[in-house]
Amino acid sequence: MPLRSTEQGWGALVRAFHWLIAALIVAQGVIGLSMVQMGLTPAKVRVFALHKSIGITILALVLLRIAWRLTEKRPADPPAMPRWQVLAARAVHFALYVLILAIPLSGWWFNSVSNAPLVWFGWIGVPSLTGGYDPIWKPRALLVHQTLFWLLVTLLVAHVGAALWHHFRQRDEVLRRMVVGSREKTGGG
Amino acid sequence: MRVAFGWLSTVMLLGLAAPAFAQTWQVDPAHSALTFTNSYQNVEYSGQFRRFDAKIDYDPNDPARAKFDVTIDITSLDTQNSERDHSALGADFFDTAKFPKAHFVTTSFRKAADGKVIADGVLTLRGVSKPVVLTVAFKPNGNSATLDVTAQLKRLDFGVGAGEWADPSMIGNAVTVRGHLQLRAEP
Repeated sequence: MPLRSTEQGWGALVRAFHWLIAALIVAQGVIGLSMVQMGLTPAKVRVFALHKSIGITILALVLLRIAWRLTEKRPADPPAMPRWQVLAARAVHFALYVLILAIPLSGWWFNSVSNAPLVWFGWIGVPSLTGGYDPIWKPRALLVHQTLFWLLVTLLVAHVGAALWHHFRQRDEVLRRMVVGSREKTGGG
Repeated sequence: MRVAFGWLSTVMLLGLAAPAFAQTWQVDPAHSALTFTNSYQNVEYSGQFRRFDAKIDYDPNDPARAKFDVTIDITSLDTQNSERDHSALGADFFDTAKFPKAHFVTTSFRKAADGKVIADGVLTLRGVSKPVVLTVAFKPNGNSATLDVTAQLKRLDFGVGAGEWADPSMIGNAVTVRGHLQLRAEP
């Protein structure tokens, strides 16, 4: 199971980034939508702190993932895949990268203009992006955070739908190579 | 005779009038602030009470006769975080529906060993009255003066955020209160 991606499949590191970030995004969505319904208790404060910590984690992982991806070549597209589908897939992937960077950043921004504390898992203090409370930008930052989230949900429907379509209708390698990497036994590199 | 009368009135002023009334000062609210620092999720933050009314009688040469009487409008709380301010006024915390004002009055003034002036007083907050000690720094400047006071108190002594909110890693128990007053001598 090579660490690096090959022509046939994604490397172990790309797949680890993909599924770890995917799991964290699903958790974030569930936590984020539930926490705003909670009554004011210490538990609510802790759940908000958890949401912020996971968000900063996703931001850091996405930056590492992009840095790693820049050193790699992506596996070849299925030969039968029409050009418009290739372009659509690239566009969605690019938009997903933008969103999974922008959503944690907008949350961090919202937290900053709210003048709320942010300590990563109660351990490392994360500085404010804006240097204090800003009641004018606060509702705007929240709107940006929420709008980008729902845009992400929409794109994820397309992303997951396309992956399942490739696997079950096209019966190609697109999903498998992100789950198990490549079929071939390669010696590495 | 004239000289003697003048002398006599000076003696009367010094000996009778002055001990009866320490200098009374008027607070310039635009240049005064009542602030505090506390911690939330172990991160320090500061806040202030924008409205308070302070009656200050103070003569730096005779601090023993001084008296501070301060009424604080708790609803004027501002910690630069609207959710936090709103929550802090609720029943679990300051409970301003029942206790909209806090009151502090000095009971005595003394000089500490290091020469600092210390005021002992009683703070009534959220229906609880407890002794609070102020460190007093008074700087006269002609007809005006600045008065800086500092006090350490514990929010749980007054039942602010008791019960499930008592955990000091969530909200620090120690609160440092600072008052900075710009004073003008009352004519």
